[in-house]
Amino acid sequence: MTVAMELDQMILNIAAIMIEELKLEDVTPESFDPDIDLVDEVGIDSMDLATVALVLRDKYAVRIDEDDYPKLTTLRLISAYIHRKLAARG
Amino acid sequence: MKTVSSLLDDHWYERYKKISKLNIRSSIYDVTNRCNLRCKGCFFFSSDEHKAAPEENDLARWEAFIDKEMERGVNLAILIGGEPTLCFDRVEAFYKRLPTFCATNGLIKVPRDRFPTMMIGISLWGDEEDERVLRGRDTFSISSKHYAGDPYTYYLYTITPKQIGKTERIIRKIHEAGLKVHMQLLSNDEGVSGFSWKPEELVAIRAEMDAMLDAYPETVISSKYYHEIITTGKMMGRPFGWMECPSVTQPLDQRDPAPKRLTNFIRWASDLTTMHRCCTSETRDCATCKDGAAHMSWVMVNKRAHMASTRDLQNWIEVYEMFAKLYQFLPW
Repeated sequence: MTVAMELDQMILNIAAIMIEELKLEDVTPESFDPDIDLVDEVGIDSMDLATVALVLRDKYAVRIDEDDYPKLTTLRLISAYIHRKLAARG
Repeated sequence: MKTVSSLLDDHWYERYKKISKLNIRSSIYDVTNRCNLRCKGCFFFSSDEHKAAPEENDLARWEAFIDKEMERGVNLAILIGGEPTLCFDRVEAFYKRLPTFCATNGLIKVPRDRFPTMMIGISLWGDEEDERVLRGRDTFSISSKHYAGDPYTYYLYTITPKQIGKTERIIRKIHEAGLKVHMQLLSNDEGVSGFSWKPEELVAIRAEMDAMLDAYPETVISSKYYHEIITTGKMMGRPFGWMECPSVTQPLDQRDPAPKRLTNFIRWASDLTTMHRCCTSETRDCATCKDGAAHMSWVMVNKRAHMASTRDLQNWIEVYEMFAKLYQFLPW
């Protein structure tokens, strides 16, 4: 699997987590725009991000630093962040 | 999926953009345990919070403490008391470092040469008669002279049941003094006879608050949705109470399930070590709490709950704008 494919799969996985954890309606992992601004457009706040971060920590054993929340404004950016941390770990 | 831009037209979207990145992180500080009034119904004294901890008197410790608060992410200091104007050196330590709001009874004038742009909220508990009953004196006659025309000052008008039908006179006096006003409701912590709210009185005062906002839009800083929330105690059918309140001190917050809340919020006692449970009295029944800031914060932290319809999201925006104006993150 190429890096791009891995990233696409991770976007779908994290989209599914966000939809379930935040009870987002009328959206599927496939229809979730990975570039939509989660804070400005979807209305997600830092508490929502913390909720998702806990699930991601359990699933990927990757901790999202709270100071990094402001940078993680889209599904693609979150996925890339996790992917990068996993890659760095080898 | 409903998104902000799908719910709002251009006008409302522009308003939304102005507040969406404000990221206000407030905390509350008891500047002193002393006051120059003793008001019936003041939670600080009725629940003995003035005895919770001895005051820190070393100014250098206050300065170091404030620096640590800023490192913690606080970008709005809300100073209460006691009466903060009894300790201008402590107030100044905040003001020199970060956006600062000072609650006061207005009897001591904040010197504008020393605090040129500090936000000031003057407490007002009704007309002359109510003020004499609850506070021992008519403070408006003094505070309105101290602050007439001041562009950084507003009245925090705590309405009592006895004010039904009388609020316009007060609002007009504030308007004529060239000041702004924000309204909240008395919680009557000391159970003063005749000052507890009955359901029909809450209906009546909501209509009156709406009418004041319509009649004095340049003077009253408020929103009709806020009036609904604070008079009904309900938001989206959910009752306000301990399990919903956003203004609980974070390190003491063990609620499960955790509600939406203010990030990193703490209310500090004046020893700079002791934390109070929440933004108001620990002895207050949360189910009947009428604290205005807690109710508007309740709306603000529940943005996604207000994304079911355009009207809901507009209501959320109006409450957020109101909060931002009260602390001058948005201009009046």
